[in-house]
Amino acid sequence: MSAYLNTRVSLFSGRLWHAEDYDALMQVADEDIGDALNRRGLPQLARGFDNRDPLSLEQRIIAEVLDETRVLLRPLHGAERAFLIYWTERFEVTNLKTLLRGKMTGERPAALLARLTPMGAFGRLDAQTLAHAEDVVELLRRLEAGPYAGIVRQARRAFEDSRDPFMLDAALDRHYYEGLVRRAQPLEDALGAPMRKLMGALIDRINLVWLLRYRFNYNLPPAQVYFLLVASRYALPSAMLRELAALGSFDAVLGALPAPMRARLADTTDIAALFARMDGSAAELAGRILRSGAPPLARAFAYLLLRERDLRAVRAILRGRHLGLPADDIRLAIAHDPGGNA
Amino acid sequence: MFRAEPLYRVQIMVLASEAQDMALELARFGVFSPARFEDQTLPENPADAYREAWLEAESRLAKLAERCGLTEPPEVPADAVPPSLTDLIGLNNWLGNVWSTCLSATESETRIQEELRHLDALEETLDKLARLDVDLAHLLRADGLLAVHIGSLPSAAVKRVTEALAMTGSLVSLFDHVGDQTYAVIAGPRERDAEVRGVLAQAGWRELPVPVELRTHPDAARAWLAQMRREVEARSGAECAAIDALRAQFRPRLEGARLSLILARPLAEAALVGVRGRGGLACLTGWIPRRQLEALRSALDARFHGRYWLQTAEPARHEASKVPSLVRHPAWLRPFAPLVKAYGVPRYGEFDPTLPFAFTYLLLFGAMFGDIGHGGVILLLAVALRRFLGRFVWVGVSAGAVSMLFGLLYGSVFGYEDLFEPVWLSPLHHPTHVLTLAVTFGVGFISLTLLINARNRLVAGQGAHALFDSGGLAGLVFYLGAVAGLASLAGALDLATPAWSVAAIGLVTVVVYKWAESHAGLGERILVTLIEALETGINLFANTLSFMRVAAFSLNHVALALAVFTLAQGLSFAGHWITIVLGNVVIIVLEGAIVAIQALRLMYYEGFSRFYSGDGREFVPLRLVGAK
Repeated sequence: MSAYLNTRVSLFSGRLWHAEDYDALMQVADEDIGDALNRRGLPQLARGFDNRDPLSLEQRIIAEVLDETRVLLRPLHGAERAFLIYWTERFEVTNLKTLLRGKMTGERPAALLARLTPMGAFGRLDAQTLAHAEDVVELLRRLEAGPYAGIVRQARRAFEDSRDPFMLDAALDRHYYEGLVRRAQPLEDALGAPMRKLMGALIDRINLVWLLRYRFNYNLPPAQVYFLLVASRYALPSAMLRELAALGSFDAVLGALPAPMRARLADTTDIAALFARMDGSAAELAGRILRSGAPPLARAFAYLLLRERDLRAVRAILRGRHLGLPADDIRLAIAHDPGGNA
Repeated sequence: MFRAEPLYRVQIMVLASEAQDMALELARFGVFSPARFEDQTLPENPADAYREAWLEAESRLAKLAERCGLTEPPEVPADAVPPSLTDLIGLNNWLGNVWSTCLSATESETRIQEELRHLDALEETLDKLARLDVDLAHLLRADGLLAVHIGSLPSAAVKRVTEALAMTGSLVSLFDHVGDQTYAVIAGPRERDAEVRGVLAQAGWRELPVPVELRTHPDAARAWLAQMRREVEARSGAECAAIDALRAQFRPRLEGARLSLILARPLAEAALVGVRGRGGLACLTGWIPRRQLEALRSALDARFHGRYWLQTAEPARHEASKVPSLVRHPAWLRPFAPLVKAYGVPRYGEFDPTLPFAFTYLLLFGAMFGDIGHGGVILLLAVALRRFLGRFVWVGVSAGAVSMLFGLLYGSVFGYEDLFEPVWLSPLHHPTHVLTLAVTFGVGFISLTLLINARNRLVAGQGAHALFDSGGLAGLVFYLGAVAGLASLAGALDLATPAWSVAAIGLVTVVVYKWAESHAGLGERILVTLIEALETGINLFANTLSFMRVAAFSLNHVALALAVFTLAQGLSFAGHWITIVLGNVVIIVLEGAIVAIQALRLMYYEGFSRFYSGDGREFVPLRLVGAK
C-alpha cells in the first residue's frame, strides 16, 4: 500500500506548478484558460471557468483539493487516514464560520447554502438544517448537538456576552489546529523528522502570524494573545510564545525569535511579508520532502501543502485577470498571499 | 411489462401566477416527471423564489411540528388551492415569527434548566468552598487590591488558562471538578483584571456568583440556595405554561400551514429541476406516459379552461439516456423489481428483465435447494416475518414454494431421500444427468441473453453491433455452433461438420466486425482483434460452465443432509433428533443464504452483464406528499 501511495504522490507531483506556469497562465488568451487549466490537471477549475464568480472559484479549488485527497486516502488507514481526513476538516470549519456570520447578518438560507463549500463524503455538518436555523442562538444550540459540540459549548457563553464573531472564529481556528497537532503527534513519532518538520513549519507560521496580528493589529493584551495561540512544541514552543506575546513591537518580536528563524525573517517589516517569507521556506521544505525518500504519508502531506499553495496562486491569477490587473500586480499578490487562516 | 412505457416530452406553458396551480394539478395527476430541457428562449427561473420560500417555511414547520406534536397527516380537499408566492412568503414570515416566539420560550426553558444544574453544582461546591480555608467575604471585597474570580471553566482549558494568566501575575487554584467543568479561584492584581477577564471570556469561564449568604454561615448559604431554586422552578413552571399556551394558540393555524405547504410542494419540487420562464409566463417541463396524454389534457382543460399551452414531442433516439423509465409491473411481480433495480434501472427502450429474472431466479433457487421440508420452513418463516419483510414476503413465499416443488421432484424431505419415490429424479443418484441439465440450462440462458442484447442494440439504433458483435447475433451463431460441435464431439449429437462450420461463420463475422471497429495502428489492431475474439469464446464457455454450480449445489444439499444423518446415527435417541434438528437449521440458514446469493450472482453476472446496461433514470412523478 505504501508503494501505491508513493507512486500516486509521485504522479500527482507532476501537476505542481512552477513560476513559468504562472506566467503562462497570466498570458494565455481568455478563451483558452479552460484548456490551460485542464492541461495543468485542474479539471474542476476548468469546468466552471465560464462562471467567473470568485466564490465559486474558491469552491472549485476546494473541490479539486478534496478530489485529490480522496485519491491519496485510498491506501491509508488508522491514524494516517484520520490525519489526512482531519486536514480536510478546515474547509468545514470555514463553512461553520460562514454559517455563523451568515446567521449574525440574517442572510437568507438559500444564499448561505450557496456560499458553503460542498464537502461531499468529508462533510460532517448538516448544512441544510443549520442554514435554516432561525438565528445564531438556534444555530449554536444545534451545533452543540453535532461534531463541534465541544468547541461551540465553550465559545457560546463568551459569544452571547460579547456578540463578537471574533471570539468564535478564534476559538474555532485554535481548536482546529490543536486537534491537528494532537493527531500529528503519533505520526511524528512514527514517521520521524519529515513529518515533524512539515508540522513545525505549518504551526510555527500560524502561531507567529496570529501572534503579530492579535498583538499589534487587534491590540489584544499578551495573556489573551497567548491563550489564542496553538499549543506547540516545535521551534516556537509555548514558553517562547509567552515571551514573544509579552513584547511590545513587531521588531522586538522578530529580534527575540530563535536564531535560524530570525535570520530567515530578517528585513521583513510587516505581517504579509513575514507570511510570504515563512510560506516560501515551508514550500521549499515541502518540496525537498516530496522529492526525498520520506515516508509516504509525509510526502502526501507535503504534496497537499504545495498543491494548495499552487491553487492559491492560480486563484490570485484568475481573480487578477478578472479584475484586469497588470501582470506585475498579480505577481506581487501571489508573493504576498496571506493564505486562509494564516 | 418487458420495457418502459413510451413517454412524451412535454412543455406546459402557463401564467407564472398560476404555476403553483399547474404543478399541483400535475401532482394530483401523478404521472408527470419533471425534467430540465435547455431552452435559450426561456432565460428566467420564475419559481426559484417560490422554492426558496417553501424550503424555509417547510424547515420552520418541521421544527414547530416537532415541538407542537403535529403528527397526523392532513386530508387534502379536492378543491384546495396552493398558496401564491405572496401568500407563501406571508406564511413563511408568520412561521418565522411563531418559531422565534417558540424558540425564545424554549431557550428560556433551556437556560432555566442550566441555572438549575448550576445551582446543583453550587450546592455541591458549597462544602468545598468551606474547605478553601480563606475568608471569602474578605477576599471578594470589591475594594481590595486583589481581583478575585470564583467560577468554572472547561477542564480541557485549565492548563492553557493557567499559563496565560500567569502572564498577568494571577494565580489559579483549582478546588473542584464536576463533569467536564473544573471549579477554580483566580486571584491577581486588580489593575490587570481586564486582561484576566479577556482570557476568561475566551476560555468559556463561568463566574460563580458567590452571594453574601454563601460567604458567611453554611446554613444561611443553603437557605439562600433553596430560595434560589424555588424561584427558578417557579420561572420554569411559568415558561412551561407559556409554551403550552403557545402550542394551543398556534396549533390550529399550524395545521392550516401544513396543508398549504403540502399544496405548495409540487411547484417547489419542480423548481428544483428547473421551471423556466419569460415575462409573465412559466414553463414546466418533463415527461408523461404517451397513453395518458389525453387524460392529462382533459384534466388540465377542466382546471384551466384553456389558460395553458401544452407541447409534446417524441424523445429523440440520442436522448435515450436522459429519458426516465416508467415500467409497470403486476402486483405479484413488484417484490422482485427492487432486486433488479439493485443492479440498475432499465434505460428507456431497454428490455426490462424483471419477469424473466423472477422466473429464472426462483427456478435456480428451487433447483439448488429442492426439499419439501426446507422449502416449507422458508415459506412459513416468510409468512411469520411478513411485517418485517414487507413486500419481500412474496419473494420468500415463492422461493419456499418452488423449493418444495423441486423437493417433490427430487423426493427429498428434510434431507430424507427415502420417504417417497422422486417424481422426477434424485440428484444424488443421477449426478451426471443433473450436471448435463444444468449446463444445458446455461446454454439456453446465455442464448437468451444474447438475443435480448441484440434486441436492445437494435432498439438503440446500433444495428451493426446487434448483428455482428460478439454480444449480438454473430456471437450467438458462433456460440450455438460451438456448443453443437462440442456436443457432437461428446457423442450427444451427430452434427460435427455443420456445427463447426456455423461456429466458424459466427467467429469470422465477429473478427471482421472487431477489425472494422478498431481504429488503431496495424499491430495494435491485430492484437485487439485477436484478443477480443479469444475473449468472446472464453467468456461464453466459462459462463456456461458456471451453471454447473446449479447441479453442484443440488448435490451439495443432499450431501450436507447425509453428513447430518451420519453424525446423528451414532447418538442416542435424544442426541439423534437434536442433531437432525440442528443440522437442518444449519442447512436452511447457511445453505439457504448461500444458494440465494449464488442464484442472484448467476442472474447478475452471467445474465444482466450480457444485455442489461441498467444505467437508466427512474421515472419520479410529482406527487402530493405528506397528505392522507
